[in-house]
Amino acid sequence: MTIRTRLTFWYAGVLTASLLVIGVGTYRELDEQLRHDRHRKPEEHAILETGELVVEVGLPAILLGLLGGWWLTRKALAPVSKLTEAVEKIHERNLRDPLSRTGNGDELDRLTEVFNRMLARLNGSFNRTREFTLHASHELKTPLTVLCGETETALRDESHSASERERAASLLDELRRLARIVDGLTLLAKADAGQVALKLEPVRLDELVRDNFADAQILAEPRGIQVELAACEEVSTRGDRHRLRQLLLNLADNAVKYNQPQGRVTMSLRRADDAAEFTIANTGPGIPPEMLPRVFDRFFRGDPAHSPAVDGCGLGLSIVQWIASAHDGSVKIESVPEKLTTVTVRFPLLEVRL
Amino acid sequence: MRVLVVEDEKKTASFIRKALQAEGFAVDVCHDGDDALAAARATPFDGIVLDIMLPGRDGLSVLRQLRERKNTTPVLLLSARGEVNERVEGLDAGADDYLPKPFELAELVARVRALTRRSGENKSIVLRVADLTLDTVTHRAQRGGADIELTAREYRLLEFLMRSPGRLCGRMMILEKVWDYDFDPGTNLVDVYIRRLREKIDAKFEAKLLHTARGAGYLLKDQS
Repeated sequence: MTIRTRLTFWYAGVLTASLLVIGVGTYRELDEQLRHDRHRKPEEHAILETGELVVEVGLPAILLGLLGGWWLTRKALAPVSKLTEAVEKIHERNLRDPLSRTGNGDELDRLTEVFNRMLARLNGSFNRTREFTLHASHELKTPLTVLCGETETALRDESHSASERERAASLLDELRRLARIVDGLTLLAKADAGQVALKLEPVRLDELVRDNFADAQILAEPRGIQVELAACEEVSTRGDRHRLRQLLLNLADNAVKYNQPQGRVTMSLRRADDAAEFTIANTGPGIPPEMLPRVFDRFFRGDPAHSPAVDGCGLGLSIVQWIASAHDGSVKIESVPEKLTTVTVRFPLLEVRL
Repeated sequence: MRVLVVEDEKKTASFIRKALQAEGFAVDVCHDGDDALAAARATPFDGIVLDIMLPGRDGLSVLRQLRERKNTTPVLLLSARGEVNERVEGLDAGADDYLPKPFELAELVARVRALTRRSGENKSIVLRVADLTLDTVTHRAQRGGADIELTAREYRLLEFLMRSPGRLCGRMMILEKVWDYDFDPGTNLVDVYIRRLREKIDAKFEAKLLHTARGAGYLLKDQS
């Protein structure tokens, strides 16, 4: 029950009680008068008089009072609804925008002010986390460069034994993986801070998908996986060519990595209502339903006991999600374990002949 | 060939110097932007490896100064920030190439070599390595007189390798030039393509042309 309804009920109760008091008072007064009036007609009875008064005057007054109360509470609570609407729009990306205040110093205005202060504190702590990731990934690059360089030098030093060089080579593989993780982290931290500028231009998605299809076939071949392009309609969007290719390749790479030997990957690009829809489905172990909502989380790997050991930086899908949303698009994932996992990405259509 | 390395981080500067020296380059090292400008003015270098983050005057500003003074020495920018915008900014400022940190040494060396020998690139229409030929107009590849069927991507990969025979090509460099990727996709795409290409051009022949340099990249060369 809303505050407004509750207040109106209370109000109605109070009005009825007052009406009762008025009724009783009127009855007594009338009765007194009628007793002293010698010329009283038999049909003139105090209780009837009072009844008439209450029904003819009191009830309309109550009704009017109720309507008035309904209107009053609405007026009084309107700022609360506005506040609710504004608060509902808050998410981690617009923390720095304070709610607008009425400035009249009433209770709600003070509530807004306190809320804004809380927002500012939250924003500060979000920023610190973002900056931390950004600085951390940046600081890691210099030592990583040194490590990679030294290891590579060791690898190519003919005076080292074969086993030493083998060790250097395997170290270098791990260092490269680390470098990719740091790269991904930097990209996401920058994206969070709104520091990545996309180079937007009209892009023919079907061309990118065909290209990606060719690469996916090559990636899939060593594992005997069949890749199929079920549909590739001619559609365009406004986007950053490099980032869109990165998104497609990440998805294709996942579809091959998390597949089963002799499995299948099916891609399609279609026009769906006012969007360009790219789907990629793969066979394989799939993702348990309880883990689906978290697959876009950074470094989320699912249950290590059930997922096969796959290398990767653990940021692929987070990057996909960022690229999709940076293009005003969306991405969703569905999975039937042991059957099919489908990722659907939608981009706004660009209606133009290229 | 004389190269100037501008890098404030001593260790990094030191192994870049060693790696380039090992490849036969004469290397000068500077640790800040003002020294770099002075050195570039005093000596005609064949190439400059320039870090963006420098104490005092930063790399981009050094680069702009150089270009303002009509100094056209090829410049390879290094950056720890590794962001697309920065790459574009660097190339706009007049850089010839850009490499994000952490980079692979082999990649850096390959790029410096490409930079300093830019004019020496093979521009002929029919490229030839041993008995392998590639016609860049008809896209026809032949080895020992027999035709080799190539997909569009395989063709571009082969053309790229054949344009700089005997020169090491790093994975990132291949991804950039053949795929036009400006990010490391973290897949073994290049390796798989190389394997396929190798099957097509080398499998049936005694003399192998396509070689792998472990932890570095690939190169196409005539062993004989």
